Amino acid sequence: MMKKTLVMMLALIMSFSVFLAACGGNDDDSSNSGNSGNDGDEPYEIIWYTIGTPQKDTDKVFEHLNEYLVDKINATVKMTQIDWGDYMKKMQIKINSGEKFDIAYIAGSEYLLNARKGAFLDMGELLDQYGQETKAILDPAFLEGPLVNGTLYGLPANKEIGQQSVYLFNKSLVEKYEMDIASINSLADLDPYLAAVQQNEPDFQPMATFKPYLPFDYILGDELPFAIRLDGDQTKIVNFYEEPETMEILKVMHDYYDKGYLVGDAGTSDDPWPLEVENWFVRKEMYQPTAELQWARSAGYDLVMQPMHQPITFNGSLMGSMQAISSTSENPQKAMEFLNLLNTDPYVRATVDKGIKGVHYEELEGGKIKDIMPARDNYRVPTYSLGNHFILPLYENDPENKWELFQEFNDDSIAAPTIGFYFDAENVKNEIAAIENVRGEFAKIILHGAVDPEEFIPMATKKFEDAGMNVVMEEMQAQYTAWLAEQE
Amino acid sequence: MEEKKKQKKKAYNPHQMSRTSNVILNVLMAILAFVCIFPFIYVIIISFSDKSSIASEGFQLIPSSWSLEAYRYLWSIKDALFNAYAVTILVTVLGTIISVMLISFYAYAISRKEFQYRKQFTFIAFFTMLFSGGLVPTYIVITQMLKLQDTIWALILPLAINAFWIIMMRTFFKQSVPEGVLESARIDGASELRIFFQIVLPLSLPAIATIALFSTLGYWNDWFNALLYIENPNLVPLQHFLMKIENNLEFLRNNPLISNQVQSTASIPKDTAQMAIVVVSTLPIALAYPFFQRYFVAGLTVGSVKE
Amino acid sequence: MEWLSRPLRDIYKNRIWLLMVLPGLIWFILFAYIPMGGQILAFKDFRQGHGGFISNVINSEWVGFENFEYLFTSNDAWEITRNTLGYNLVGIFLGLVFAVTFAIILSEIANKKLAKIYQTGMLFPHFLSWVVVSYFAFAFLSKDNGLLNNIFSFFGLEAVSFYYESEYWPFILVFMGLWKSVGYSTIFYLAAIVGIDRSYYEAAMIDGATKWQQVKHITIPMLVPLMIILTILALGGIFNSDFGLFYQLPRDSGALYEATNVIDTYVYRALQNNGDIGMSTAVGLYKSTVGFILVLLTNYIVRKIDEEQALF
Repeated sequence: MMKKTLVMMLALIMSFSVFLAACGGNDDDSSNSGNSGNDGDEPYEIIWYTIGTPQKDTDKVFEHLNEYLVDKINATVKMTQIDWGDYMKKMQIKINSGEKFDIAYIAGSEYLLNARKGAFLDMGELLDQYGQETKAILDPAFLEGPLVNGTLYGLPANKEIGQQSVYLFNKSLVEKYEMDIASINSLADLDPYLAAVQQNEPDFQPMATFKPYLPFDYILGDELPFAIRLDGDQTKIVNFYEEPETMEILKVMHDYYDKGYLVGDAGTSDDPWPLEVENWFVRKEMYQPTAELQWARSAGYDLVMQPMHQPITFNGSLMGSMQAISSTSENPQKAMEFLNLLNTDPYVRATVDKGIKGVHYEELEGGKIKDIMPARDNYRVPTYSLGNHFILPLYENDPENKWELFQEFNDDSIAAPTIGFYFDAENVKNEIAAIENVRGEFAKIILHGAVDPEEFIPMATKKFEDAGMNVVMEEMQAQYTAWLAEQE
Repeated sequence: MEEKKKQKKKAYNPHQMSRTSNVILNVLMAILAFVCIFPFIYVIIISFSDKSSIASEGFQLIPSSWSLEAYRYLWSIKDALFNAYAVTILVTVLGTIISVMLISFYAYAISRKEFQYRKQFTFIAFFTMLFSGGLVPTYIVITQMLKLQDTIWALILPLAINAFWIIMMRTFFKQSVPEGVLESARIDGASELRIFFQIVLPLSLPAIATIALFSTLGYWNDWFNALLYIENPNLVPLQHFLMKIENNLEFLRNNPLISNQVQSTASIPKDTAQMAIVVVSTLPIALAYPFFQRYFVAGLTVGSVKE
Repeated sequence: MEWLSRPLRDIYKNRIWLLMVLPGLIWFILFAYIPMGGQILAFKDFRQGHGGFISNVINSEWVGFENFEYLFTSNDAWEITRNTLGYNLVGIFLGLVFAVTFAIILSEIANKKLAKIYQTGMLFPHFLSWVVVSYFAFAFLSKDNGLLNNIFSFFGLEAVSFYYESEYWPFILVFMGLWKSVGYSTIFYLAAIVGIDRSYYEAAMIDGATKWQQVKHITIPMLVPLMIILTILALGGIFNSDFGLFYQLPRDSGALYEATNVIDTYVYRALQNNGDIGMSTAVGLYKSTVGFILVLLTNYIVRKIDEEQALF
């Protein structure tokens, strides 16, 4: 009896799956017929998903913009924002289910994964065909970094290319104890200042919780043991936990932990140490030009900073914000033409970013702008996730040379060795799965200084090796060596 | 006779336990209930504490200073908040009714020996408890086959049936609806549907109240279907609405450079707001519980009145 | 015609019952059986493409059991299986004992008003998410400012780093798991007790049975079918865990993995940065299959003992 039911049910599942397949097929047909219609006069509607809280005036702004876009490229844009925490979950399902859309914001590892799985169209080709102007203004690093198997699958927003870790200090304490922060060159140099704060300022934690800066170019994130030294042999992948600098810096970290500069639960902590709460003395942040103004605004008290190193261009910093065209797009040409305008036409860029001129913002003499309140609060979208920064209007309190500062920052950035190299983990998936769990076990407690590195780094290394680190390393080295050879 | 009864009462009362064990059990249950409610009280306290005291002392049971800031923040978004309440209440009420109906029909049929295929249909239900469809295929059924995205049905239908409750209900029906009662009704010529509505349902009120309660809790707490299927801000139910606020606050706090691009207002008290959110989303449903509770105790009181 | 007319006659005979299960059946087909086709992904290397999900699945390459390998090749395979099974078995057993006990006590407490209050109270943990509970637990267990360590230091005892020492966690996890779920499952048994025919108790009272005898000879035997069914069903989920309990409550502290790593947290970490839909489908299928076999097995045993109590 049971067997019969089981067979019956399997048959049911199968037949319905076939039915579903037929349904999917139907969708295809209708989309094809829709496609042919787009070549005519009817403007094509570009469906664009991007990150951030949905805004009240989005429809209004795009209605306004669409009038312009219809004239320019015979297309309209429907931008849908999805909240910060939901965005990737929702997009991943849309992508996996093959839902039809044209453009999506994407960044970092999610970009790499989906590009590799074939979710996006070849951006390089589209740029050549319909986006020459954009290609011309993009910093060349953006065209070299985010490559998957040699192909660009997303259009990076033209902004800072590098990243720079800085120490951020509470200015009032720095002044009170007359600290010479410009002389701080290493983690160890902080010691006397931390001691002073600990002795005299019971309301302040000397150090917020952070991972110290280590001079490596990480292949798979800054916690997995695969990295290339930024100085020294740039052809060899190493386990950065075992490098002498790491040990030295982590010993200092652990010493600080033992001295109580760090909180006791640093090893499990995800506490973001919100800027607006004035209970810390030093922290680590990622700098970009004019960030100091924004930090001070968030904090509500004065801050000073000291860079830890020169800006460095990493693969990761080049993939911080991109727009990708979906392989389900019915009209990639129009999508690309819109992206081209978004990155080269100041009117389009400003409207998408700030809203309608005269409604959401007004232009002042000299070309600077000012928000119109309270209307502007009905349309606030995140600048970084949209497109080219350099054609945006400046606010009245922005420094005159804001974009020059960005340009300088980019010019100063040193390229990391692996720019354009992407490790394909397909052959070592199982080892990576196990290694990720070892990472979870050790990375945070070691890097936050909560445990003695002399005891725990060998322990972690042993476990990484047991989980298959050497196999992955070998595969990675082979791919990297082949890639290096190709570059020459 | 009189004498004997009195004596007996002293020795033991068959209707009730002894006074001592009653007291012991009461104390035990009171402690237990307190352990269960205590974290919630703590949540309420934090929601009223001042964010600077949280920053300096962590989450303390008695904060050094109090504040209404978190609730003031929630009040500032009251339009959207009340709209989310309305959506949730609609979905919960409608969903619970549909769900109780579908479940009781199905469970009753497979609980009766007269139904020749009861084992097969039990199996059909049970099988779905273990082997689920998976996210993406379900998403396709709902968005592409049924085209339910951005409707309240996308919030109601996916949760309407739960095989676990069907099997629960089947057990209840088997146990609390005596075959004899049904037999005599059938002999009187009542149809199966009439028997179901007039005899079975009233007899199974505690079980139905249980399923209704769990279904209500399920709908009230659901955010995942909203995450998947709702884009229209006017159809966002309470839990997802609040979760989005929480996630947004957290994200922006961790990324001050981005928060400057999208926020003009000063910082929002994240920790206290999070707790206030728990309070406003939980209290109404926790207070609705006694409504269902009536049906659990009803049977008992009937029994005790009889004695 | 016999092959056709007999089933048709049977269907006609059962029409009223079939009508009753029909809406449910449609629901199962739409929301459970059609999507079940997606389990195929466990055996595929899924690739996106232009043609929509179905054609993408069809065009993806078969990879056999490759997507399952990572679950078994790891050194932690034994540890996570042990932890998952251990916590679940203890949880199923203690959950049953406590839920039944509390349900009986609640139904016997003389003051019904108080009983209602206790009952409402016990349901509260169900409403709090693990994230919120983890804040609460942290306020107790934190090294710097935790209530417990404050008490320890008051009595001159040494502070305990709860989040670094795994030996405490089996107890914390079992306790918190029960704390969250017992109130909920108590309701099932309470509803069942309420449904028991009062005349059994009246007969017992006339025979002079004590309260304890009534519980032992009436209430508990009447609850047995429910206990059996709930246990069989719980065994089906033996490889599932309450993710928040094992991930959020211990704050994902690496030092505690020995006690906190279960299949679900392991898979979560393993796939966190890889998002492979084939691999995540594979683990689901593996867990379901094991659960399915267990349920069939226990159901078979139950059926041998007492046919009426079996699930099917």
